[in-house]
Amino acid sequence: MKKQHIKDMIFRIAPIVGLLILFALFMVFAVIKDINIPYSMKNILNQSVIVIVVATGAIFIYTLGSFDISLGANMCVSALIGAMAYNRTGSVLVMLGACVLCAVLISLVCSVLASVFHLPVFVTTIAMLSLLNAGVLMLIGANGTGDIVQVPADAVSAINTVEFKLLVLCLYLAVCIFVFNFLKLGREEKFVGGNPECARLTGLNNSRLAILAFIMAGIGVGLGSFLTITYAPTLSRNTASSVGMDVIISIVFGGMPVSGGARSKIYSAVVGALSMTLLSQIMLMLNLNSGISQMVKAIIFILVVYISMSDNKKNNLPR
Amino acid sequence: MKSLKKFLVLLLSVFMVLGLAGCSGKGEESGSKGIDNMKNVKIGVLVADATGAEALAFRSYYENYIQKQYNVTFMYSDELADAAAESSAIDNFIANNCKAIISFASADRPAQIRKCAENKVYYAVATGTLSDDEYAEFKDNEYYVGAIGPDLYTEFQAGYNMAKYYLDQGKTKFAIFGGATPYYVDMHIYRTAGMLVAMCEAGNGDYNGAKDFGSMIGTIYGMNCQLTPAQIGSVELVSYVGGYDFDDAWFGKLAEAANNPNVEVLLAVGSGLDTFAAFKRPDQALGTVDSYTADAVKAMEAGTLNYLAGKFSASIGPIFMATVSAVQGKPIRTANGEALALSQGYWVATSAEEANNYFTVDSSTTDPAYTKAMLDKLYGASYDDFAKFVGAYSYEEIQNLKK
Repeated sequence: MKKQHIKDMIFRIAPIVGLLILFALFMVFAVIKDINIPYSMKNILNQSVIVIVVATGAIFIYTLGSFDISLGANMCVSALIGAMAYNRTGSVLVMLGACVLCAVLISLVCSVLASVFHLPVFVTTIAMLSLLNAGVLMLIGANGTGDIVQVPADAVSAINTVEFKLLVLCLYLAVCIFVFNFLKLGREEKFVGGNPECARLTGLNNSRLAILAFIMAGIGVGLGSFLTITYAPTLSRNTASSVGMDVIISIVFGGMPVSGGARSKIYSAVVGALSMTLLSQIMLMLNLNSGISQMVKAIIFILVVYISMSDNKKNNLPR
Repeated sequence: MKSLKKFLVLLLSVFMVLGLAGCSGKGEESGSKGIDNMKNVKIGVLVADATGAEALAFRSYYENYIQKQYNVTFMYSDELADAAAESSAIDNFIANNCKAIISFASADRPAQIRKCAENKVYYAVATGTLSDDEYAEFKDNEYYVGAIGPDLYTEFQAGYNMAKYYLDQGKTKFAIFGGATPYYVDMHIYRTAGMLVAMCEAGNGDYNGAKDFGSMIGTIYGMNCQLTPAQIGSVELVSYVGGYDFDDAWFGKLAEAANNPNVEVLLAVGSGLDTFAAFKRPDQALGTVDSYTADAVKAMEAGTLNYLAGKFSASIGPIFMATVSAVQGKPIRTANGEALALSQGYWVATSAEEANNYFTVDSSTTDPAYTKAMLDKLYGASYDDFAKFVGAYSYEEIQNLKK
């Protein structure tokens, strides 16, 4: 019993230990290679913050044992709408509102469609991915500015700071932690993710929970798209194209079980995204070419999933 | 038993990770000492395409030739899809103490230059040029080294010359692959415009009311870069395909265009070997702007390809020297202290023999088009000498420079 408890604890803290090891490795290489450490720290935060915000929201979906493949496309559309709103009004607040509103609406459509047609949520997100990709091309075409939509760099330069990004991140993270850990919603989602049939028989409304999860994720996507505009105010059809995959990898790296359920943790996104960025920075310092870096990441990814699944196999509730 | 299995998996993974890292690790001080026994210069390279033939040829020149000749270390970015990725990559390079950045990525060049200048990092455009407005904004910035490569008029001329080559042979029925024209990529728009203007001149007609350089560019933008087939006087643009969708429908359009019995010549603004070549009939001709690869030479030998206009990989040598000169306090600027803006065109091959000659030089890692001895003369050179060197870019001129 005690042995099992120790083992559980090891698995629970493994992602954080992994993050600390990566940080230590990063610092060692940074000193050896005479890297600009203060700039690197700022850079790591800059590169992680958008993925952390989006992934933290996405954890509400992953906890249900589902996933959303259209997060990146949703972010691209929301950023385009936000940029166009800014260009019409000149207001950064309107831009923020447009980003969040658009992202939440898209997320809502996904989850409501799944509820109406009784489809697995990820199926509707696949359909939504195609729709959103077409929407991106239409929006860019309708804007009439070639293949890009731009917000003047001066308009967002004042908020393109690490401090502002951390503020947005902390506020959103605080809300998510509160909802996930201290409200009924978080507990119900873990229950549904652990065993949807059992949850349904106890009277939980899975559709309602899915809709709420997607609203939370939508807010994250909206904030992520707003931060994307502040970081790089030139948007194209490729904007946020890698975010969907980065979110999945970060969540898994952060120790989130791929099947969701009771072991889901809201901090997985923070740990995973920072670990991924640190790993990338270490690869860069070693000047590994892109192919080698991808292979190294893939091996570590498989390793992490293997370990987390081998631990979970016998602990899953029967479905 | 289970623990042993897990242990073995872990051990194997660690060995694989370390092995991969070890295989590709590279000492910073590799390469012989270059000009003035210069201190190792770390240069970041931004790439929007990491796998295309042209991109690989450029990379090979820097990594397999320049890096071995000079005391420099090139750090390459991943394939950059958008402005945010470019910005992240620049941050990475700055964090890693790169003193300069050479860019092949153009999602947002002004943002790239601004970020580099703010952080006192030199910036150069590897191939291509800035727009007039962009150049006006940055020409006096000491951290903007400049750009060397085909300017937009050279791109126009490349398309014009290719179409004219076939028009002069009496061909009148064409299909065009417009590449990234639908995505508003200027380089491809101007090449397409060149082809259409050549057709207008030969056919004594117009394309949607346009017949010269200025009006054709305006017309293409007016059509939202979505071109359509048209009768151009006595010449006919029978088919047109744009974009890089790489799906079944897109390949179907390419096949349909090539299989049209009326089409005599297939023209591609880029990637002709990846697009039209597979569908081309033996009686058709194919011309493309592309790079000099073994496959291209084979295609010319087989008669699949008849006209190839390609950048030579060593064309990025002079901008490297201008960048290093700037880093070492010997910037090459115009008499007014402005950044470089020099145009350099293509090598054109219309026979397998020519293509083979170009490829042999272009792919050499020991005796490329621009060797160390040639580039050394550019270190801290005067603007006039530098411009003269860059301007003599034809294969024959370069061979003469080598003597």
